[in-house]
Amino acid sequence: MPPPTSRSVEAIARTAVLATTIRRKNIKKGLTFTVMIVGASGLGKSTFVNTLCESPVFPKKDYSNPEKAAIERTVAITPVTVDMEEDGIKLSLTIVDTPGFGDNINNEGNFLDILAYIERQYDDILAEESRIKRNPKFQDNRVHALLYFITPTGHSLREIDIEFMRRLGRRVNVIPVIAKADSMRPQELAAFKKKVMEDIAYYKIPIYNFPYDEEEDDDETIEENNELRALLPFSIVGSEEEVVLNGRRVRCRQYPWGVVEVDNSRHCDFSKLRYMLLSSHLQDLKEITHDFLYEQYRTEKLSREGDVDPDELADEEARTEAQYAKRQMEIAAAEAARGSMDQ
Amino acid sequence: MPAPASSHIGIANLPNQRHRIVSRKGANLTVMVVGESGLGKTTFINTLFTTLLREYKKPEHRFQKQLERTVQIDVVRAEIEEKGFNVRLTVIDTPGFGDYVNNQDCWVPVVEFIDEQHHNFMMHESRAQRQEKDDLRVHVCLYFIQPTGHTLKPLDIEVMKQLGSRVNLIPIVAKADTLTPGDLAIFKDRVRDCLSTHNITVYSPSVQSDDEENTRRNQSILSAMPFSVIASEQDVVVNGEKVRGRQYLWGVAEVENESHCDFKKLRNLLIRTHMHDLIASTEENHYENFRITKLTAEGRSDDDPAMRARKGLETKMKEEEEALRKRFTEQVRMEENRFRQWEQRLIAERDRLNKDLETQHKYVKALEEELDELVAQRRK
Repeated sequence: MPPPTSRSVEAIARTAVLATTIRRKNIKKGLTFTVMIVGASGLGKSTFVNTLCESPVFPKKDYSNPEKAAIERTVAITPVTVDMEEDGIKLSLTIVDTPGFGDNINNEGNFLDILAYIERQYDDILAEESRIKRNPKFQDNRVHALLYFITPTGHSLREIDIEFMRRLGRRVNVIPVIAKADSMRPQELAAFKKKVMEDIAYYKIPIYNFPYDEEEDDDETIEENNELRALLPFSIVGSEEEVVLNGRRVRCRQYPWGVVEVDNSRHCDFSKLRYMLLSSHLQDLKEITHDFLYEQYRTEKLSREGDVDPDELADEEARTEAQYAKRQMEIAAAEAARGSMDQ
Repeated sequence: MPAPASSHIGIANLPNQRHRIVSRKGANLTVMVVGESGLGKTTFINTLFTTLLREYKKPEHRFQKQLERTVQIDVVRAEIEEKGFNVRLTVIDTPGFGDYVNNQDCWVPVVEFIDEQHHNFMMHESRAQRQEKDDLRVHVCLYFIQPTGHTLKPLDIEVMKQLGSRVNLIPIVAKADTLTPGDLAIFKDRVRDCLSTHNITVYSPSVQSDDEENTRRNQSILSAMPFSVIASEQDVVVNGEKVRGRQYLWGVAEVENESHCDFKKLRNLLIRTHMHDLIASTEENHYENFRITKLTAEGRSDDDPAMRARKGLETKMKEEEEALRKRFTEQVRMEENRFRQWEQRLIAERDRLNKDLETQHKYVKALEEELDELVAQRRK
């Protein structure tokens, strides 16, 4: 091998400096990540988000008016952005809440509401990509992961769980979690997890199951992914209250018969889920959303329509927006009418 | 001054007599449980009577049932005996209730069942010959509320409204070991608010009793509604004692510990203190209500189901006759129309042909004349 010339050494040094600058820029710019939270009311979703972000992102809802309890409503999609720091890396986390899902007597319309939101974000990207002059500061609002909260019945998946995950699994990374896992004993929890995974296989529900490539990935990654796969669905306990236990401050739920610790991996899978979602698998979730799910949507949409005119897409966007706004108004009018009827 | 009542006549002994009669006859108790799947209804029933009355659903069968989307009424019977007192117990379960995406009208089979039992009893009573019949009138309905910690759901409110007016309704906070004590108290308050705001009638037994202790106990029972329930079929050892409970990694939630849940209060209410009241109020108040509504709605002459049925059939027959007649006239009219049109077409055709014939005739005549002329010319 010829000795390195002064020119090639210079080139290597320049590349090294370039690489460090890019990394530093990324860390400074920070990552963005969007998670959607779906599940029936009262399963601890807001508490979970507040526990995840370690700050009261979603305030406690007001249930003091009993008249409102009988009112049926549609899903109100609510995105909230929180700035966090994980492992020294800035993370701009957007959480999309879906209050109203599964709360009505008839919940058939709920799936469309949520699916429409997700597909609208894809439409936005599609329109932006097809523009002649693209906006460099365009915000990517695609949902990278959807946490679906399963009611801890102890039996198996309910019809609404199956229907929802089946429909949305094609458009977004669905990660099933078992809500309020402290209502189940260890044996019950293990049996329930097994039955849920059996249901998911039986109904062919697509979920994010920590995929790896046998040939490309190293053994450590494969083992890690297998471990996480075996934990599915993740059992969750959330709490915003802290108590001092054995000299440490611990987030927990206090019962007369004992204390459940949120961060204790023997009590629930919260800490593993958090690490997976915000650190180890964040990039993978984003990549799958972009390289696979978005591409699939794009192909389906374009093959339906033929040529795509970006202005037409923008028009369609406006039309869907108008339809959505009209529907919201109709619902508001119906609610007002019912309100005046009750009075 | 009147003599004290309890001195000679033996009236004071009447309560004891009644007690003796009831304990010899035993009691018929019908309990209905309503609530979504997975709220611990089966476990609760098995815990309440400390016997395995209901078996759990087999998980292998779940794939067939999902598609049917029905609400069923399951009836389970058992005979329970304690210290010589017999209870013929019937438990009515409602699998499928509230389990689907669309639960509209899922309460209808339940409400219809309750009404049907009153109806059957009413029919049975008005017969000339009355044998021992199965009386499945529901004495108490336990409604299981999901422990969300928020408030009642629209489905809960709608169903409890329908149930409360027909049966002794007792709301229960299921799986109460999901809620911390503070959250549980808040939840109970909100549920109570909801019940009163929406005018839902729940079972409220008479509190006053001769015994001071009883009155106090009744009051504490009532103030605990809705009852928080933890159920378990397993025994766990706590502090050297065997108790019914659920063993978690962080402790044991005990079923009969009153600081953990209201199971004991509810069991006392159902079996020890108010069973007779539940049965009596069903047979007297609810049944009477049903009877009054039914009879005023129909009028007395239609009481006989046979005559009612016959009248119904007669009207139906008349309607069908009328419909047939109408159809007949309609068809006749259509046929006449058809014939008339055909006739007209034939006439038109005939006229046309006649005209053609005439034209040909004229033509032939013209030709003949021409021929005659030519012949005449040639002769010249």
